Amino acid sequence: MDKKLIFHGRVWYFGEDVIDTDQILPGYAMTCEREQLKDYALAGSKIPDFAKKVQPGDIIVAGKNFGAGSSREQAPVALQSSGVGAVVAVSFARIFRRNAINIGLPVLYADLIGLVKSGDEITVDFNTGEITLPDGRTVAGQQPGESVRSILAAGGLIPKVRQQLQRKGGEAK
Amino acid sequence: MNEIERYLAKAANKDTVRVGEDITIRVDTVAAHDVTAPMAIHQFADIETDKVFDPNKVMLVLDHVFPAPTVQARKNHCQMAAFAKQYGVRYFGKGEGVIHQLLAEKGNLARGSVLVAADSHTCTAGAYGVLAFGVGSTEAAAAMATGTLDIEVPPVQLIQLDGVLQPGVYAKDIVLYLVGKFGTDGFTDQGIIFAGSWVKNATLAEKMTISNMTIEMGAMLSYFSELDDVGPVALTHRFDVSTFVPVAACPHSPGNVKPLSEVAGTPITQVVVGSCTNGRLSDMRDVAAVFAKARVHPEVTCVVVPASAEVADAMDKEGLTKIIRDAGATVTNPGCGPCYGGHMGLVSSTDTVASTTNRNFSGRMGATDAKVYLVSPRAAAEAAVAGTLVVPGTIMPLEGE
Ligand code: SF4
Repeated sequence: MDKKLIFHGRVWYFGEDVIDTDQILPGYAMTCEREQLKDYALAGSKIPDFAKKVQPGDIIVAGKNFGAGSSREQAPVALQSSGVGAVVAVSFARIFRRNAINIGLPVLYADLIGLVKSGDEITVDFNTGEITLPDGRTVAGQQPGESVRSILAAGGLIPKVRQQLQRKGGEAK
Repeated sequence: MNEIERYLAKAANKDTVRVGEDITIRVDTVAAHDVTAPMAIHQFADIETDKVFDPNKVMLVLDHVFPAPTVQARKNHCQMAAFAKQYGVRYFGKGEGVIHQLLAEKGNLARGSVLVAADSHTCTAGAYGVLAFGVGSTEAAAAMATGTLDIEVPPVQLIQLDGVLQPGVYAKDIVLYLVGKFGTDGFTDQGIIFAGSWVKNATLAEKMTISNMTIEMGAMLSYFSELDDVGPVALTHRFDVSTFVPVAACPHSPGNVKPLSEVAGTPITQVVVGSCTNGRLSDMRDVAAVFAKARVHPEVTCVVVPASAEVADAMDKEGLTKIIRDAGATVTNPGCGPCYGGHMGLVSSTDTVASTTNRNFSGRMGATDAKVYLVSPRAAAEAAVAGTLVVPGTIMPLEGE
């Protein structure tokens, strides 16, 4: 059990609507500097002032096809740098999910629709995929695969690749 | 194994692969453009390596916002030029065209090879049998360093397209119909193989239009087969395309598809022809066939964007550019144009657009209230003349009728 992969935080509940990448980070904000992306997190969604209100470690709960659309990695970067600790959704668009994991933002498949509301505190365990609700009940999400857990444990794909290449370089010498 | 699995196994240097298995495959080309490359370069620096896996197999392209409409865009372009120089990678910095069109024209990608590009429409290359993975900037940076990609072997479904299209119905109508039928998450994390008698006779341009929009159904991989037997697949869907009609994806989702006849009469204020979906020579011929005999409606702005310099050259040679300009349309430099709302034709909240591009999400082309209808090039050109959406053949008779 990796303690780093257990997250406790306050819920932002987005309900069943599909949240596409244009809502997570509108196109007009895409070319701004990396440091400013956090100010535009979910600026195109029904909670346009999300970036002002989010607190470190907060957890987004959403419905189907979260992150549909563009491959813009600025979208998960904006969420992560705004303070979002994890995203739990019924399903994810593939490129968004990969991007999030690659930058070390944990995303988990689980159906919490109707089970939580904004402000609830929940615990998400990425070792097992299990979520603990405020009343102590647990919901089974999909347990992340080995490769996903290894990227998250390394803190993202870049640190993982750096370690890999350094190991290879070391062997060569 | 099916055709996709056979090529995945080859790329993974294994005898077999099975669905769900984590594999590492070797990559033949890695590409990124002026929106995704800056972040990839940033991530690449963090890997702390002094070289890319193979400079001849890395391609950087300025297409989304070229020439630069903002100072920041120019900074990004300069950063990409500097990276290209430092690492000796292939660099397309003169506005040669949209990344997916350039990969087709200059990528030298053979059937079964592996492409990793930091753009969601990388799936376009499935038209010529390439295993094409759309990724984000970080994954592109990792692939540039290692020459490999980690993936999970996807379940594969077969879409069998048989029959012959009626006049006025195009490859764009086929793919819009499919997105409407299967939904925007219909194939998430899955592969699609296209085969059938229509596919066998289709042009490369037609196949690219369809492959391009498979990401609009969430697909991980799209692959156009040349075989009669593609091997075992999870599910097969069969369609007779001769029953298909002209359609439009209505605001604000590529999956909100209706027959054009149902939305005909909707007033249009801007028309956009171009993009990696429909910016090729055959599309320009379809448009010029209309504009040779009719002018753009006085209240419509029509922007025509060739997908590449090669397409623009051919348009000039065939006299299409002049025909289109003389009809009252603006022909721009090759690239993405207004497709994603970067520049050269953004729209306001009062606009209604007929566009040959691939996405009509709210805000995609400018104001969030602007309405965008996705249609075939012929339908777009006729809408430009009519000032409303019309069924192809309304403004002038279709060939073959
Ligand atoms: S033409 Fe449009 S969809 Fe294609 S790569 Fe450019 S912005 Fe993306």
